[in-house]
This record gives sequence, structure tokens and C-alpha cells, in this order.
Amino acid sequence: MSDEERNLGEFDYHGVALDTIFDDYAEMHDSSPVGHSSKYGGFWYIAKSEDIFAAEQDPETWSVGPSMLLPAFGTDMPLIPIDIDPPTHGPFRKLLLPMFTPMAIGKLEPGMHETAIELSDQVKAAFHENDVVDVSALFARPYPTIIFSRLAGYAEEDWPMFDQWIDDIIYERTKSPEKATAAGDDLIAYMDRLIKANRDGTASGGIMGELVKAEVDGRPLTHDELLSYGYLLFLAGLDTTAWAIRSSIWYLAQDAQAQQFLRDNLEAIPDATEEFLRTLSPVQAMARTALKDTVVNGQQIKAGERAVLVFGAGNRDPEVYENPNDIDIRRENNRHLAFGGGIHRCLGSNLGRKEVNISLEHFLKTIPPFELAEEEPWHGVGTLRLRLREES
Amino acid sequence: MAEMLVDPARCQGHARCFMLAPESFYIDDDGYGHVVEGREQSFDEENVRKAIRNCPERAIKVVGADVD
Repeated sequence: MSDEERNLGEFDYHGVALDTIFDDYAEMHDSSPVGHSSKYGGFWYIAKSEDIFAAEQDPETWSVGPSMLLPAFGTDMPLIPIDIDPPTHGPFRKLLLPMFTPMAIGKLEPGMHETAIELSDQVKAAFHENDVVDVSALFARPYPTIIFSRLAGYAEEDWPMFDQWIDDIIYERTKSPEKATAAGDDLIAYMDRLIKANRDGTASGGIMGELVKAEVDGRPLTHDELLSYGYLLFLAGLDTTAWAIRSSIWYLAQDAQAQQFLRDNLEAIPDATEEFLRTLSPVQAMARTALKDTVVNGQQIKAGERAVLVFGAGNRDPEVYENPNDIDIRRENNRHLAFGGGIHRCLGSNLGRKEVNISLEHFLKTIPPFELAEEEPWHGVGTLRLRLREES
Repeated sequence: MAEMLVDPARCQGHARCFMLAPESFYIDDDGYGHVVEGREQSFDEENVRKAIRNCPERAIKVVGADVD
């Protein structure tokens, strides 16, 4: 833990701030479970697991408008369904629930295994040619791109555009909002083409194919609603899972014992995945707006003020987890908040979990013991340069 | 006799119960969890206890018994 005094008054949960964010969380739990940050127009951060849970269960006090994303994801349009409140929210969410059940995801499993094996073989081949291989570019990013594109109906020739859009919209938005907006415009244009292609029957179907046929409250979705839903699914389906796979491998590269344990006990991967999600989650926090005056952990918050539910801090709450900062891949009590909760629980959680589990399984089966080639941040979807361990 | 149920007002479809204890829980077509018929008393089994402890919504209730 750093001795340097942390300035929670400027608490941030994006970009380089993530380098040291676990120290911020420790200080929040130590002395400041709710506090105010001046970043992004000002917001209250909420760090305790119980307080976050309570807010998620209370959409009458906590609105997701104008957006759960702070700052916005390269667009001002409210994203369906994450940025809309009851009673509008439920019917939109219900449209896609059947496509993301464990049974529906189970049908995708053969293809998920096949792709994980193919990409793992490509990583292995790359290690024959090179001492150092970027496993983010060759594995963690393409895997969810391929799996989600199949489900969503994005044609393979479009895939090469995707990483740059994600980088600009999600990762550049705090530094360069113009870049995020420009990429957001490109993504909207892409969704527009996808909707038209699904309407005139030239697209392969998938989720957008279902949405153009779907009805809410007895009427079809408007074009703007389809754009918004499609925009959100694209970003949610690709980026988060890439981060989760990358951060899991990042951790295993530094813990030879845990890596060996999972190699010897592949059936232990799902519990390990939960622990990686708890401690290194791609979604560290999401915003809300108070609809009425309320009190959180003794702190008055006024109607109209923004608050940020810091899931990543709640996931390291010493009142909930023993040794919260230890990554214990065999942890059994793991009621973490990585997918959020309440009515906005991540719609794709069953898919995301399965992708992490299956990709780790084949990566470990195919790639000999590995370690970091150089220090890399735990967060994001940037490079992850690995080399094989000497003794192997 | 004590019985286990998934509170439909709380369940949001995380499906942790089904993944951890598929013999005691099933998931409906919209993704919500339910107790398998005939398994209402299985709350002392190790997998089921783990499912109860790992439900993010704390939606699995045992009526008429103390379970952690």
C-alpha cells in the first residue's frame, strides 16, 4: 500500500487512475466510504458493498439517466437498456433475456470451444517464431470479437474496424472526447447499415435480426431505439470480455503456483474466473443520479446529484471478503458485484463468464507455463506481452 | 418442514445457482432461477449452500430454518 496520501476529492476510475485505484479503495474502506469527487462534473462515490447493493435495488431513488456511463460513450443518446428507468426499461430488457440464458448460451458452446482452440494454437505458433507474444492482440481481444459477432450477426469482413472504435469510444473518451464522438458516429453509421440489412434480409440475422422483428408494448422498435440498443450491445459485448480474459491471463502470468494449479485442475477455472472478476473487473464503477434527497452511510445526497457505484471497491470490502486484496482463486464465498445487480444486472453475464472460462481452459491446455515479458497494467485491453518460462 | 425457494422479486437471472447446483435449481426461458421440484429440502447440501452464499441478489431463501 502506498504511504502517499491519496486525494479522494479527485477520485477517478478511468485510464491511468486505474493504476493505483486499489489504494483508493483501501482508503475509502478505511476512512471515507462515501465521498465527493470533483471529476466529470462532480459525483459522490459509494464504496461499501452493502450501500452499492442497496442503491442497485432502489431504482425509485437512483435513476440511470442521463447515462450510467460517466463520461458518456461517444454519444448523447441514452443507451438501451442501461440508461433507461422503469417502467420503460423492463419491456426492452425482456426482448433479449431469452437469448442470454444459460441454455441459449449453451448452444453456442461447441463454437466457443472450437474458436478458443484455434486462437490458442495461433498463440502457440507465434511462440515458435517469437520469444515475446502479445496475447491481448492475438487472443484476449479477437476471442470475444469472434464469439459475439457470431451471435450479434456482424459480418467477418467488418471485424477489423472494431478494435479502433472500441479504443476511441471507451478508452480515449476521457482524454479526447472528439475522438470518441467521431468513432461513435462511425459506429452509429455501422448500426444503421446493419439495421437496414436486417430489414431487407441481406444480413445474417443474429440479435439485430431479432430486434427488427421484435415489439415493445405492441409496436415495433423505432429506428432510433434499434440504433441505441445495437450501439450498446456492440460495446458491452466486445470490450468487457476482452478485458476480463486479458486481466485473468495477466494475473496468472505472475502467479506460477495459481497457473500450475489451474493447469492441473481445469475444473477449478470457474471459481478462479469469479475471483478475477471480483478483483480485476472490467467494470469498476457505474453512475446514477439521485431522483430525491437521500442518505447513504450517513452522507446526505441531494436530488439531482450524481453518484458512482464503485463496484470495484465493493468487491474489496473488508466487511464482506476475508483478505479482500488477496487474489485467491479457490475463494468460495464470492458474491461479487462485477456484473452489477438489480434490474440492470449485466444481460450478457452468462455469455461473458462462459467466454472467460472456455478461453482460459484452452489457453492453459495449449500454452506452456508463461510469464510477463515486462510490466503491464492490470487494466484495459492494451498489450499483454508474455514469454514462456525458462524451465518449460 | 423448512423449504428453499428463489424469491422472484429478487432474482435477476445471474444464474449462479444453476451453475453451482444444477440438480437443485433450473432457469426459465427468461433466465430467472427456480428450485427444482422435489429439491426444496436440499439446502444443506454443499453445492446448494455454495449457491446460496454466491447469489448476488441474495434471492435464495430458506423458509423455516437458519442457513448462513
